[in-house]
Amino acid sequence: MKVDRDEIVEDLNRLMAEEVEAFLRYFQMRYRLRGVDRLAAEKLFDEGTRETLEHAEAIARQIRALGRIPQLKVDLELHGGPTNLQEALAEMLEVERQALEAYKEVLPRVTGDTMLEDFIRKQISVETEHVQEIATLLE
Amino acid sequence: METWKEFEANELTHSAAHHLLAIHEVGLEYGGWARVSDIARQLGITRGSVSINLRTLKKRGFLDTDERRVVRLSTKGQKAVQAVMAKKAVVKAFLREVLDVPELQAEIDSCKVEHLISQPTGEQLVHFMRFLVSEDPLARQLLARFKTFHDECPESRTCEVCNGHCLIEELQHAKP
Repeated sequence: MKVDRDEIVEDLNRLMAEEVEAFLRYFQMRYRLRGVDRLAAEKLFDEGTRETLEHAEAIARQIRALGRIPQLKVDLELHGGPTNLQEALAEMLEVERQALEAYKEVLPRVTGDTMLEDFIRKQISVETEHVQEIATLLE
Repeated sequence: METWKEFEANELTHSAAHHLLAIHEVGLEYGGWARVSDIARQLGITRGSVSINLRTLKKRGFLDTDERRVVRLSTKGQKAVQAVMAKKAVVKAFLREVLDVPELQAEIDSCKVEHLISQPTGEQLVHFMRFLVSEDPLARQLLARFKTFHDECPESRTCEVCNGHCLIEELQHAKP
């Protein structure tokens, strides 16, 4: 399938927005956490902020490699009161699942482009691992 | 409750209303069911945001989900969508047909208030519109007279509507 470069860049911009939004969610979540597990949970969400930002950076580099400038469209207001580890993890799982699905959706469109295909496959592998880890914590 | 806080107490936020409307629109093609990716595309936001918002809507009983994680409007959700669409339609009709607001502006403004006005206000607006289009000659006359009414502020800058402050002037000053 031959896909227009503009469409691929659009896909990458969308993926970057998913990651940046996840970063913002995890950032805020650290301050919503309450209860006995708060410290452990905070650490988990600290890692989440670091990883999502790294992913966003990696996507931005791919966009630059295609000769474009990353365009970020984030439309987000974060509210919500105190929450516990269980609820926070359920939210994290939802966000990670959607990121995974978003990467999977892009894969067929970059198949054949060695660099992008490798990148997306790697992201799928990382996100799959995240989803499994969080799902295990929620069992 | 103070009136301005009513906005915050509204059961359906603007975002929630648009999520429900998007599910309704996407669902028209798929027997009522909608995927997160299609809703996200329809709303122009991320899948992550949609999925978190759907969790809240589901908890509040507006949605049903199935094992494939697709969603559809519950009975409560369908009622909410019908109410929002009805209010939008009547507000837009009022803006277009009575106030002569241009089509695009009427669409934007009706969208802004569609989920905010109360049921009694929506119903009264429908009654008023029905009156205006009824066979009653006075209603026809009223609309026709309004459309040719050329308003001028009195020299004193006071009238029964503005009560000491010329509202037209204040609105014009607020123009971006």
